Amino acid sequence: MDTFPATLLQVAITAPVLIGLILIAGRSLPRSFASGFAFTGFALPAVIAPWLLVLWTNDATSPLQFRADGPWGFGFALNGLGAPLLAMTSLIGLAAGIKALTQDVEARNTYLGLILFMLGGTLGVFATDHLIGFYFFHEFALIPTFILTLFWGGEGRRPAAMQMAIYLTAGAMASLAGILIALDAANLSFANATFVNIADSLGTAKNIPAATGALVLFGLGTLASLFPFHSWAAPGYSAAPTPVSMLHAGALKKFGIYGIILLGLSSLNISQGTLGSWFLWLAVGNVFIVGLICLTQRDLKQLLSWSSVAHMGPIFLGIWVCGASGKAAGLDAAAFLMVAHGLSCAALFLLANAVRQRAGTYRLEEMGGLASRTPVLAAFFIAATMASIGLPGFGNFWGEVGVFLALRAQPLWIQAIVASTVIISAIYALRAVAATFFGPMSDGLARRLETAPFGDINWIERIAASVLLAASLTIGFIPSLITKSTNPVSTGVANFSQRTATAPAVKPAAPAQFLPSAR
Amino acid sequence: MSLIFANIDVAFKALAPRSSDWLSIAPEIAVAGLSLFCLLQAMLLPANLRWLISATARTGLVLVMAMALVPHAGWKLTEDVATFAGLLRQNLPFEVRLVFLFSALLTSFVADRFLRDRGAAVADYHHVLLVVTAAFMLLVQSNHFVTFFVALETAAVGLYILVGYLRKSDASLEAGVKYLVAGGLSSALLLMGMVLVYGSLGAVGVADSLNFTQIGNALAAGKGSALTLAGVALILGGAAFKLGAFPFHTWIPDVYQGAPTPTTAFLATASKAAGAFTLLLLVTGPFVALAHKIAPLLAVIAVVTLLVGNLAALATTDVKRALALSGVSHAGFILAAITAALAMPTVTAFDYNAEQTIVFYLLAYIIGTFLTTQALASMPATEDHRRPLLALRGLMRRAPILAGALGFGIGSLAGVPPTVGFIAKLLILVLLVKAKLWWILGAALISVAVSIHYYFSILREAVVRPTEDGQELAPLEVSFSARFVIGALAAASILGGLLILS
Repeated sequence: MDTFPATLLQVAITAPVLIGLILIAGRSLPRSFASGFAFTGFALPAVIAPWLLVLWTNDATSPLQFRADGPWGFGFALNGLGAPLLAMTSLIGLAAGIKALTQDVEARNTYLGLILFMLGGTLGVFATDHLIGFYFFHEFALIPTFILTLFWGGEGRRPAAMQMAIYLTAGAMASLAGILIALDAANLSFANATFVNIADSLGTAKNIPAATGALVLFGLGTLASLFPFHSWAAPGYSAAPTPVSMLHAGALKKFGIYGIILLGLSSLNISQGTLGSWFLWLAVGNVFIVGLICLTQRDLKQLLSWSSVAHMGPIFLGIWVCGASGKAAGLDAAAFLMVAHGLSCAALFLLANAVRQRAGTYRLEEMGGLASRTPVLAAFFIAATMASIGLPGFGNFWGEVGVFLALRAQPLWIQAIVASTVIISAIYALRAVAATFFGPMSDGLARRLETAPFGDINWIERIAASVLLAASLTIGFIPSLITKSTNPVSTGVANFSQRTATAPAVKPAAPAQFLPSAR
Repeated sequence: MSLIFANIDVAFKALAPRSSDWLSIAPEIAVAGLSLFCLLQAMLLPANLRWLISATARTGLVLVMAMALVPHAGWKLTEDVATFAGLLRQNLPFEVRLVFLFSALLTSFVADRFLRDRGAAVADYHHVLLVVTAAFMLLVQSNHFVTFFVALETAAVGLYILVGYLRKSDASLEAGVKYLVAGGLSSALLLMGMVLVYGSLGAVGVADSLNFTQIGNALAAGKGSALTLAGVALILGGAAFKLGAFPFHTWIPDVYQGAPTPTTAFLATASKAAGAFTLLLLVTGPFVALAHKIAPLLAVIAVVTLLVGNLAALATTDVKRALALSGVSHAGFILAAITAALAMPTVTAFDYNAEQTIVFYLLAYIIGTFLTTQALASMPATEDHRRPLLALRGLMRRAPILAGALGFGIGSLAGVPPTVGFIAKLLILVLLVKAKLWWILGAALISVAVSIHYYFSILREAVVRPTEDGQELAPLEVSFSARFVIGALAAASILGGLLILS
């Protein structure tokens, strides 16, 4: 077997971490050297990971690809769900890295190093099939996030970082308890604690405490801003520096969902029974209540942060319907939306910061009429907004449509609520675009234009935004890039959940095509 | 080497009565001898060689620790001999001793500079410290309430001295008096409990109703009465006092805050360890027949202890006090492990049994505590008992190594992966899961989440800029020994957890 791609995968994850380490250790490295070095760390994964996704072969006999073993479960391998998420993270990482390199901040090398750590940790989560690796990299990505928000963040960073730390620790602890109980019920040692083995063993275990699924769902759900454990999220994203917001809202929160799918859905049946109906209601809360909260936002970055929470709703619904009624399409669409939302959300945070650099504020009422001064920025921003509300052509469209189609067999009220959110999200997103770029210019902005004249976005910002929008368009036109790798996983999970639901007496087969044990 | 030891063994066995295997308590004898040697040095050495005192004490402690590596049967008895006529428990795992030795060693490192800066005698401090250490090591292997009480009181009297050691400081003296009163009360309760057990079991024909083995047999045979139960409850209360478990935790904040910082660390680690091991010894030894009664009680106490410490710590703005209260929660984690051992005697976490898990938790706690203590002790303070959060401001600029020590120490105490503190908590959570103690598990998880607030507040102050008006404070000088301790412990705080899981 060709081991070259496996080596590349190792490089993609270790390079940002090692370069980050060197930058943190070498606080006085010269600026130009540090920039080039850091750029290597951001660019390497962005070249490797999408290529690995292209190389991905839809072969049911080898669902765990590009495998390379390491000590303590830190070996790397990609599964069908991790592959597209890895590619998405690497692209967000590149765009965030380009943004970070243009920023003039205090202790720049440490700042860049910590962002590289965050990127490396997030990439690591998606490239491991082992629970220790999952938990380790998850913390590895979160700790720099706290530090970055606390020191380099904007307004309200201290309470936001503290709130985030407490919520996410509580979530991490709850999910850890769930993981431990699941390991105990599956009778697995740490060394064998892969997602696969857990799914295999729990399929036959009868003594899983009822709370296990809830602990996993609510614990990891906190990280993924599941309603009502979401209240840390919007302040956290808003207060963070822009590259951190991009990575956090775009990529980091997805590994909460990733864990919910691989552990909760495929082994613990979180979509069924009482917990299943809770899950449904909370997901509807994400869609509807948080959607209403978005309508009241008057600050561009706050709005983006809240809408990023609201957009988790359809993803949760897709996951729920896959586990509840065995619709593989639901999980496929949810996975697609995870990737597409990451790209569009990161692009919006990036462009909103470009707006702020020009208007000097995020307050919507203090802007207006920017399009006449910055037509290219306006075009980019409108494109990213259209992507996020699911215009056909962009990736989000396939995700949202897929979730709606998967929900078609559900009661009408669910469909009605979900459909209403399309309208709600269009209202707040388009209103923000209108308030920022069109209409008369506010007095404040006009005065600012006289004192500090600004131009359109520069080519560096254009490149960063283009990376993300081009990726969204690519998967919008070639959706099979994503579905070819996610489909075996979702089919396996869907079959598995249906077997355990309908015929509990028969020993359910392990999720057939879903990551069989390579050991 | 082993030949020499074997010969010593033969010589001792020839000289001593059969049951008095002196080599089995060689580590304790060595530590006690070392403590006398400290006094001898203080008498004989000229002033410019006084530094040798603490150096010998440390070397001696390291050598005693190294005894664990010597292959000798003396401290791992295999024969079925009642050691010292049944006064001592056999086959104490060496790791248990290691907890006390490690704590004493680190206390010596912190205390050395701290005491010299304040013009207090170093030799006497080391003398008392080593006596207490030896007494703790004897206490946890006692098999008879006479040994138990004598060892406990030896340790307690020594600790009264160490708490009130800074005679010129009102706070230190006040803490000493408070500790004396509270400790005296707990000793009285303990003694009352022993008397009740002795009397109630002696009345039904138990030959030596202070001997743990005989008490265990009598209770298993159902000879206990209501009076015995009351006695058992009082004795457990005495052990809970040492551990600092609810409702015997109220002395902790005041005493820890007022005591000299090195003593605070020793009290937090060694005294807590002694409480943990004696409690484990008692509930799984003589009182094991009452496990069905004790386990629910311990479970309730564990839940309350876990929560009360961290909730109280939320409201404090003094670092020493916050750490003292967080120690109460750590005691709750240990209680949780003891409860798990009672609820399911065979419970293991990754092949470590409850006792080993507790040892590991305590070692992790020692690492975290001494990292923070070393950072605090290296900072100048007009009054040792006032360590407001604000005083930490600008530490990152003034002495990055101390901020780093706080980072690793607090991180480990808070249980942030992948520190040793996280792995230790993980092991106890696994015990709780396996023993199906869901309520305690829930309380433990909530307690961890709550604790993040004040732990991170401490870190935040340490790395936030000096003052809001940009005024820079002078850089701090950090002694070589402090740098050494911080470096070694920081490495241990990361590597320790990975080593134990591999």
